[in-house]
Amino acid sequence: MAVVAAAAGWLLRLRAAGAEGHWRRLPGAGLARGFLHPAATVEDAAQRRQVAHFTFQPDPEPREYALETQSPLPRNFEMGQTQKMNLFQSVTSALDNSLAKDPTAVIFGEDVAFGGVFRCTVGLRDKYGKDRVFNTPLCEQGIVGFGIGIAVTGATAIAEIQFADYIFPAFDQIVNEAAKYRYRSGDLFNCGSLTIRSPWGCVGHGALYHSQSPEAFFAHCPGIKVVIPRSPFQAKGLLLSCIEDKNPCIFFEPKILYRAAAEEVPIEPYNIPLSQAEVIQEGSDVTLVAWGTQVHVIREVASMAKEKLGVSCEVIDLRTIIPWDVDTICKSVIKTGRLLISHEAPLTGGFASEISSTVQEECFLNLEAPISRVCGYDTPFPHIFEPFYIPDKWKCYDALRKMINY
Amino acid sequence: MAVAIAAARVWRLNRGLSQAALLLLRQPGARGLARSHPPRQQQQFSSLDDKPQFPGASAEFIDKLEFIQPNVISGIPIYRVMDRQGQIINPSEDPHLPKEKVLKLYKSMTLLNTMDRILYESQRQGRISFYMTNYGEEGTHVGSAAALDNTDLVFGQYREAGVLMYRDYPLELFMAQCYGNISDLGKGRQMPVHYGCKERHFVTISSPLATQIPQARGPGYGIMSIRVDGNDVFAVYNATKEARRRAVAENQPFLIEAMTYRIGHHSTSDDSSAYRSVDEVNYWDKQDHPISRLRHYLLSQGWWDEEQEKAWRKQSRRKVMEAFEQAERKPKPNPNLLFSDVYQEMPAQLRKQQESLARHLQTYGEHYPLDHFDK
Repeated sequence: MAVVAAAAGWLLRLRAAGAEGHWRRLPGAGLARGFLHPAATVEDAAQRRQVAHFTFQPDPEPREYALETQSPLPRNFEMGQTQKMNLFQSVTSALDNSLAKDPTAVIFGEDVAFGGVFRCTVGLRDKYGKDRVFNTPLCEQGIVGFGIGIAVTGATAIAEIQFADYIFPAFDQIVNEAAKYRYRSGDLFNCGSLTIRSPWGCVGHGALYHSQSPEAFFAHCPGIKVVIPRSPFQAKGLLLSCIEDKNPCIFFEPKILYRAAAEEVPIEPYNIPLSQAEVIQEGSDVTLVAWGTQVHVIREVASMAKEKLGVSCEVIDLRTIIPWDVDTICKSVIKTGRLLISHEAPLTGGFASEISSTVQEECFLNLEAPISRVCGYDTPFPHIFEPFYIPDKWKCYDALRKMINY
Repeated sequence: MAVAIAAARVWRLNRGLSQAALLLLRQPGARGLARSHPPRQQQQFSSLDDKPQFPGASAEFIDKLEFIQPNVISGIPIYRVMDRQGQIINPSEDPHLPKEKVLKLYKSMTLLNTMDRILYESQRQGRISFYMTNYGEEGTHVGSAAALDNTDLVFGQYREAGVLMYRDYPLELFMAQCYGNISDLGKGRQMPVHYGCKERHFVTISSPLATQIPQARGPGYGIMSIRVDGNDVFAVYNATKEARRRAVAENQPFLIEAMTYRIGHHSTSDDSSAYRSVDEVNYWDKQDHPISRLRHYLLSQGWWDEEQEKAWRKQSRRKVMEAFEQAERKPKPNPNLLFSDVYQEMPAQLRKQQESLARHLQTYGEHYPLDHFDK
């Protein structure tokens, strides 16, 4: 689209020309209802629409996280006033809180001004002004480069990359600039107030360029933090921690959960600590580790294991990919003796390999079976084959069964 | 750096031309402006000269402090042949295309439009997962395709399906790709509208855009450039034809910026009323549309009339519906095709993964939609 012509601003009010709109119908307009015969049966239609491979489970209350105003952590604290929010709304809430209390905070990226393609920034430009919530050109290298620049001056820079699949033009900026800024300057300078947010993970039909989970590329880069929430409540607390963290952070948001996951989330700001994994279900026989959407898959696998095999699983959400919480994982494996790690990203070089390698170093004599990794295949993320590609509950269950019988 | 102006979505063929048709010969010392200068001999270095001595610079000194206005965006004029009512403005620019060719241009655009409307609806009904229409930009596709040889390699972005339509890519294959069915040349791997065709020299489309935008305008890179009215099929045709001729003759790239307007939403995942006015969209739809401008031309030549319009509309709708219904009934490709073509040869580790999926499906096959896939 010619930006110049469209944005020229000369919006003339013209009367419609003669009625010949036949070939020029506006999208979706004008076709008679039932022009396309609807799917033959309800079942056919349902089968065509892919059924989700997971079921979102909100955490039970109460939770042990500090509201910003409270410290030290009370055992059962008051969450304060909460509101039912889905994942994109919990992100909006975190951003709203940030812009309210930090006058240097700005949000920028492609299409964020009107609210964002996933609605994470709805209402923020109206509330905080165009100087604080603004669009950038279609240029990921520029988005991150610009973010690093203003972070160096001390502003809180919250950048959005529209899909994690498109983060790669910014890879040089992230790896060679952002991650190394403090180190190379001898701590004279840093861009710690930079946070990059980006939709992440499979969504049912995203194929090669709307489904990727690139956390492993960034895990190999000392100097940045990589964080992935499993739920709206986690997302808000973790995102606020990323924004306030004194190091550049990448916050990947599971796009399939934007609308599918909803739960009560505090309206006021609160923090969930980074680099702390969470044991969301205690167990004694097997440790299951995942992050993001996949946490809900392994949670279900834990139920299946209990029901079908009488096996008790400890389920851990890693939450921060780097720097990762080695202690929590190892403590669990020392207890259970078996570890299964699962992620959508391809197997080879995926983050499960790092976890596996460290755990076998630290817990070798505690292991009852080889560590199991259930991951995506070593291919680009396919479109029509997605149901076969993803590490679904059946593949995880099967791997678990083999570990138990080892 | 011209990062800020990379936002203008510049449609250009120079990559295709330069890669397929010629080598880009850089003439030593000829930076910046016109490459039509003969190559500069290595200058004898003389410090007596008061001219700038910077290697490669051909500029003069100036003693007046003046910033160069980046007025390039509003400054470059837009070439057109037809006015908005499809009348030729300057007869000497009329390409005098034969009737069959102009009809082919018209029918390609209108068939594409019909296919767009049906496939957009089909996404709304959950029959395909995603779709992107080409409304408003059809003129840029067919005008350029018509000016190229059919064997010229085209690297399109996702809103240039008209090139394929002009090159007679069958409806069956458009549909196959959208449905990811067994006839899809892309083997079901990509989201809808990511077409490709080796036979028709159209490189398979990929989603990322920032990998495909030139980071600066043509003049900034020292590339011969022209801006044209993209909704004027003849202007696009003339510019492309001449650019191609000269690119091949002179061994240099040409940048064509075809100005147009995207009338439809970005995709089925977008509602553009959130960021632009309906009035603006209506203007382009009704006042300056490539299809109606060409139709006015056809009518004024006596090459088309209401009868033919009605008949063609009916016929094209029927063709699209037939292809659509057939595509929907076909099975998806065999899941083994998930694993091939990652490399030319399949690595051993990947073959092991393929085998493990096969074993997994033997035990757990009931939980997978195997009925829809080729055995």
